[in-house]
Amino acid sequence: MITLEHVTKTYKSDVVALRDVSIEIKKGEFVFLVGPSGSGKSTFLRLLLREDLPDTGRILVAGRDVARLSTWKVPYLRRNMGTVFQDFKLLPGKTVYENVAFALEVIGRPRHVIESQVPQILELVGLAEKSQRFDYELSGGEQQRVSIARAFVNRPLILLADEPTGNLDPATAEGIMRLLDRINRTGTTVVMATHDEGIVNTMRRRVVELDRGLVVRDQARGVYGLPA
Amino acid sequence: MAFKLDYFARETMVSLRRNLVMTLAGILTVAVSLFLFGGVVLLSRMVDHGTARWKEGVELEVFFVPTATQQQIDDVQQELKDSPNVKKFRFISKKEALDLFKRFFADQPELVEAVDPDTLPPSFRVVPKDPELTETIAVQFRGRPGVDEVLTAQEQVRRMLHAISWIRRLFFAISGVLLLSSFFLIVNTIRLATYARRREIQIMKLVGATNWFIRIPFMLEGLVQGAAGAGLAFGAVYVLQQILSDLVVRSEGVFRSFFITTGDAVGIGLWVLVIGGVVGVAGSAIGLRRFLDV
Ligand SMILES: Nc1ncnc2c1ncn2[C@@H]1O[C@H](COP(=O)(O)OP(=O)(O)OP(=O)(O)O)[C@@H](O)[C@H]1O
Ligand SMILES: [Mg+2]
Repeated sequence: MITLEHVTKTYKSDVVALRDVSIEIKKGEFVFLVGPSGSGKSTFLRLLLREDLPDTGRILVAGRDVARLSTWKVPYLRRNMGTVFQDFKLLPGKTVYENVAFALEVIGRPRHVIESQVPQILELVGLAEKSQRFDYELSGGEQQRVSIARAFVNRPLILLADEPTGNLDPATAEGIMRLLDRINRTGTTVVMATHDEGIVNTMRRRVVELDRGLVVRDQARGVYGLPA
Repeated sequence: MAFKLDYFARETMVSLRRNLVMTLAGILTVAVSLFLFGGVVLLSRMVDHGTARWKEGVELEVFFVPTATQQQIDDVQQELKDSPNVKKFRFISKKEALDLFKRFFADQPELVEAVDPDTLPPSFRVVPKDPELTETIAVQFRGRPGVDEVLTAQEQVRRMLHAISWIRRLFFAISGVLLLSSFFLIVNTIRLATYARRREIQIMKLVGATNWFIRIPFMLEGLVQGAAGAGLAFGAVYVLQQILSDLVVRSEGVFRSFFITTGDAVGIGLWVLVIGGVVGVAGSAIGLRRFLDV
């Protein structure tokens, strides 16, 4: 589903964010990206989304060569990927329903599709009763559920999450992780960057550790840090 | 598709309303600049019509100094009568000159009020047997006692055209500058609009909206501004044409030939609309440029 071959990414200020990263993520996998701040986790996700281009190396996502994709095809690449962020990125002044519907509306989905899919996904994330609430009427955990609903409403093949639990307390974070786990069980590939040791250690999924842009560990059913 | 149109219309309206003041500023500058442009083209059209007429019945006019005596005038008249080159001629008295002046500046009563009838010279308007003879006749009367100057129609036309071409250039320049500033206003309005909606745009890009889908509401916003301004200018050009036509109809002699038709105004108006639309769309395209790259 996702393949990186010798990917190197340098920012202008000659900061090397990723060094010669080669990795393969299969369909349906759940992968944690861990590593200290500045180790290149967000850069990794940005390259998959083609928000940035690698200096060298090849990136394949759902069979497409991301770096060589022509600009006009980028939106179609992104329709295969849902994205969730630490800061939710909801639209202020819109309801839960509108926030989720927006994602379908702007890719030109017809009204009847929107009207049937949005309630379904809100049911899945447990917000069916709160669909008419505004963002400011929701707790952080609920807002993150809305953003997951928005990321998943189009049934993407891949879900990318950059510290989705970073702003949440442990109990709420656990709820979010259960939701991501459920989405993963539908066959969706999930890649999640995180600093949350507890979560990584309880979930026991594949762990890829980055350090200053290098992959220093790739462990199936891994833990956050290697036992000292 | 109907659904998408719905979406674009709604988003465009929301954005226009959000930037109401900037939007109005954009519309007004487009309107003023295009009205100037349209007005100048309209006047040029009038001059074209008028000078086309002049070419046919070439005329020359013998002006007297304001202090010319009746004897001097009579002498010239006699000579015109006797000249084999002259087909016909007509005397324009001081009073008639004043009437013409009044009619020409009908909309500037203070100017009419201020003019001293004694400074408006009497003259003879002369039609030669053959246009070729115009210069010969002119030479004959130049320097006669009491004669101030002899203007041939061509000369008058040339002078007028010269003056008008400068006025025209000036107004084109002014309308160009205004049009440019309305263009920049639209660029800026669209930039502000995209800035106000940067979160939406960011999310649209993340969920895979195409660039065109993101751009269209902003392009429409620019188009609405350009077209609305142009529409106002169209109306103003039309009104100007009606007023000028009215003046021309009520005038006499040479000014009659400076007619303009409603067709002229509509033709110019359509150009104005096209230019307005192009300015609006181009302005928003530039305003959107920084969002084009993914
Ligand atoms: N747009 C950018 N321009 C220049 N340098 C950047 C840019 N984005 C990231 N970097 C640098 O690249 C390196 C990797 O950053 P990245 O955001 O990928 O780290 P991260 O692992 O996500 O960190 P964190 O855990 O704090 O989110 C850092 O040194 C960062 O300063
Ligand atoms: Mg990061």
